[in-house]
Amino acid sequence: MATRRIANSERTVLEKDDNGPEEKSDIAPAVPKDVIYKLLGFTLAMVVLPIGSYFATVNTVFNGNASYAGGLAAVLANVVLIWYIIVAMNEDQSDRMETKKDK
Amino acid sequence: MDESELAPKFAPFIGMAGIASAMIFGCIGAAYGTAKSGIGIAGVGTFRPDLIMKCLIPVIMSGILAVYSLVISVLIAEDLQPPSAQSYSLFTGFMHLACGLSVGLTGLAAGYCIGIVGDGGVRAYMEQSRIFVGMVLILIFGEVLGLYGLIVALILNTKSKG
Repeated sequence: MATRRIANSERTVLEKDDNGPEEKSDIAPAVPKDVIYKLLGFTLAMVVLPIGSYFATVNTVFNGNASYAGGLAAVLANVVLIWYIIVAMNEDQSDRMETKKDK
Repeated sequence: MDESELAPKFAPFIGMAGIASAMIFGCIGAAYGTAKSGIGIAGVGTFRPDLIMKCLIPVIMSGILAVYSLVISVLIAEDLQPPSAQSYSLFTGFMHLACGLSVGLTGLAAGYCIGIVGDGGVRAYMEQSRIFVGMVLILIFGEVLGLYGLIVALILNTKSKG
């Protein structure tokens, strides 16, 4: 009987807290901020640039020739697309360089 | 303005049908392209979130198709005036209808192409990164279909004023 433990001071299984001290959950966005700004910028450019350039140039630069202004709007939309492809390619390359540095 | 055989009462109706068909069909194409390639991007994003940025290209191209339709709709709408101010001939009305249909239906075709290629392309890109250049090239050729429609519509719109 001498080896018997004094059980009163110990916690039972039911009383034990599995989780320990409460950890703060990670709620930071998984996407880095510069990517979000980039996408927002492209969205804004896509919405504003073509139609805005049409209305800006139709009576000033092209003297009311709406066909040229419409053509300019279409060209600017494609410029935004090519710009986006270039940015996406560059991002991929910079990611690859970072992973090489880590190794 | 006076009604005549060349400028009947219903002529503006045909022109407005052109505006509506440009916007409606073009946006159906753009919506299909965005939705179908969006499904593919969501599928890729769960496995390779780092590829999302490059996979968004089909969505941007679908957006451009909608811009084409928008430009033509604005162009036609600027040529229309109330009947008291302008005599609108039947010829102009049919010209505007041809404008709207050419940009709208080519936009529909291009959007359908971009949707299917975008969906399959981004899924394939997840497995094999070399497919990217081919995918972008195919997407550009699909999108150029809408551009051809825009060029024809611009020419028709210029002629309708003469």
